[in-house]
Amino acid sequence: MNSIRSFILTGTLSVLILFNFIAAIQGYRSSMAEAEMLFDNHLLEHSQLMTLLDFSSLDKPVMTGSNMVLQVWQNDKLIKSSLDAPETLIGDGSPGFDFANFNSYRWRTFTRSVRSDYLIIVAERTDLRFVLAENVILESLLPSLLGIPVVGFIVWIIISRGLLPLKNLSQLLQVKKANDFKSVTLGHVPNELIQVIDSINSYVQRLERVLEREKRFSADAAHELRTPISALKIQLHNIATEAGYESENFLQLKSGVNRLQHLIEQLLVLYRLTPEQFQNTCHVIELSQICQDTIAAFYPVIEKKSQSLELEEMEIDSEKKKLEILGDTFALETLLTNLLSNASLYTPPGGQLKVIIDADQKYVYITVEDNGPGIAESERELIFQRFYRSKSNAVITSESATNGGGLGLTIVHHLAQLHQATVTVSESSLGQGAAFKLRFPRLCS
Amino acid sequence: MQILLVEDDYPLAKSLQQALQAQKYVVNQVSTGEAALHVLDTETPELVILDLGLPDIDGLNVLQRLRRKHKSVQVLLLTARDSLEDKILGLDKGADDYLAKPFEVTELLARLRVMERRMSQVKSSVITIGAVAMDTLGQQVTFQGNVVELPRREYMLLKTLMEQAGRVLTRASLESSLYSWGEEVASNALEVHIHHLRKKLGNEFIKTIRGVGYKIPALQVEA
Repeated sequence: MNSIRSFILTGTLSVLILFNFIAAIQGYRSSMAEAEMLFDNHLLEHSQLMTLLDFSSLDKPVMTGSNMVLQVWQNDKLIKSSLDAPETLIGDGSPGFDFANFNSYRWRTFTRSVRSDYLIIVAERTDLRFVLAENVILESLLPSLLGIPVVGFIVWIIISRGLLPLKNLSQLLQVKKANDFKSVTLGHVPNELIQVIDSINSYVQRLERVLEREKRFSADAAHELRTPISALKIQLHNIATEAGYESENFLQLKSGVNRLQHLIEQLLVLYRLTPEQFQNTCHVIELSQICQDTIAAFYPVIEKKSQSLELEEMEIDSEKKKLEILGDTFALETLLTNLLSNASLYTPPGGQLKVIIDADQKYVYITVEDNGPGIAESERELIFQRFYRSKSNAVITSESATNGGGLGLTIVHHLAQLHQATVTVSESSLGQGAAFKLRFPRLCS
Repeated sequence: MQILLVEDDYPLAKSLQQALQAQKYVVNQVSTGEAALHVLDTETPELVILDLGLPDIDGLNVLQRLRRKHKSVQVLLLTARDSLEDKILGLDKGADDYLAKPFEVTELLARLRVMERRMSQVKSSVITIGAVAMDTLGQQVTFQGNVVELPRREYMLLKTLMEQAGRVLTRASLESSLYSWGEEVASNALEVHIHHLRKKLGNEFIKTIRGVGYKIPALQVEA
């Protein structure tokens, strides 16, 4: 059932047509019986009339209507007949009503024997009875046949009126935003919908509570997890200060704590940036601005590894137009930082990183590339999976094995999807290395 | 320097106190907002490290009440919240700096040094980075001991960079400061100013991050 309206409409009209049809058949049958009786009486009267005539005094042929024939037999001799009556005896001569075929029609016959030597036979075409019955039934049926479209139209209007509250409700729900937890109210609510609206409202309230709890959990978790990690990091610092040097075991512990911190941060990002949240914080963002800011904030990491990082903006239009997309600042910064951190991590010290902004009519592109070992073609699909870490030998350094939480590119993928962007991996233009290219729908001003 | 540490998480507070004491800071630690406000009234420290998530009063509230009485105390916010609004709100309410947990101790120490410098600047008003010294009061710059003559725009640009030494300042933010100084900014104005500064202060002093912006190395090289 795709539509309540068409279901009710076709249902109602089908029942209407069916009952009309049954009534028509019934009417036809009773009309037929009526017609039969009428015509039989007619025949009877005719033959009755004939008995009153003196046959011998009639010298002209008997005139009857073309639908009726007449024969008068006297001792097996046809003494009188109407014009188009056959020469032979109609029927078998036994008195009473019967049927007979002649003159290429079917006839209803009535045979009457008079004064024992006369036989009067009156016959009438049967098809006329059908015509009569059909006429009667057609005339009674015609109004209801013509009425069906009218009834259909009226039923349509009634259904539309009846479904109006449902339509209003669905419109109301359609324009409801993801973050709108206000109760749904309709002006005149029919009894059938009261339950539905109540259910929707209690569902919305439950949803609000769940989302609220989620939000609080996210904030609580951040606090609960970040504070002990901070303490751990400070304690590590204190131990190193106290001992005056950093042993191999100490360094392992330190990178373990860093890894834990990294993982927690990434999980929180993944947790916080749900599509519903994203919709609420989406706004116009200028690409070159956000790239500059992100790179500036990330620069200390690059500097620590003595790598170089530059931003290149391609000349796109002759006039200098700003490249804009719809997005969330925090999400985009996280996305870019993840790509940069990934590039820096897998590129040896002294390596080169580059961010390129480009655009065409429909899209804007951000490419983050490095001159590290690159990513094997077979791995390019896998790297976006949760917790996947590159296994190629060239890539595993002590730093990358411990620092990369394995969530970075999953988050990149997730955040790109939020922005309706795609991520592709290819060869870097820096001779060797990997290039991550983001493609965003361009916002035309 | 006297520091008041307001932090309710005991392990964090204790270890942080220890780390700061190792740097010869005098550290008092309290774990509630009420206690913090009380200490501030009796024995005003020079600097407050304030955690926003306190058990009794919201950290921002403490900050507000603190600022009403003590205008000159430097306040560094510590928080596990990391949304931009929190940060802006904190700075708007009068915090001098903001650090999100979990942080590197070296980062915290660097921020403390910057704040210390800011405090001492009020007295001496001289920023010295490498061979370059800037007297912000006398608006005079010396390079290797010799006075360098700088036009107003170049001086303001250098001041912005030196005050935030160690950080990359984006082209956009530098250009917007040029605008705010009432300059008509041509598309290559920034490059021209930087070029002039380099001619006077040596090529190595201001570093270019291509496509992004410029930076001046931090005061001290961190371990």
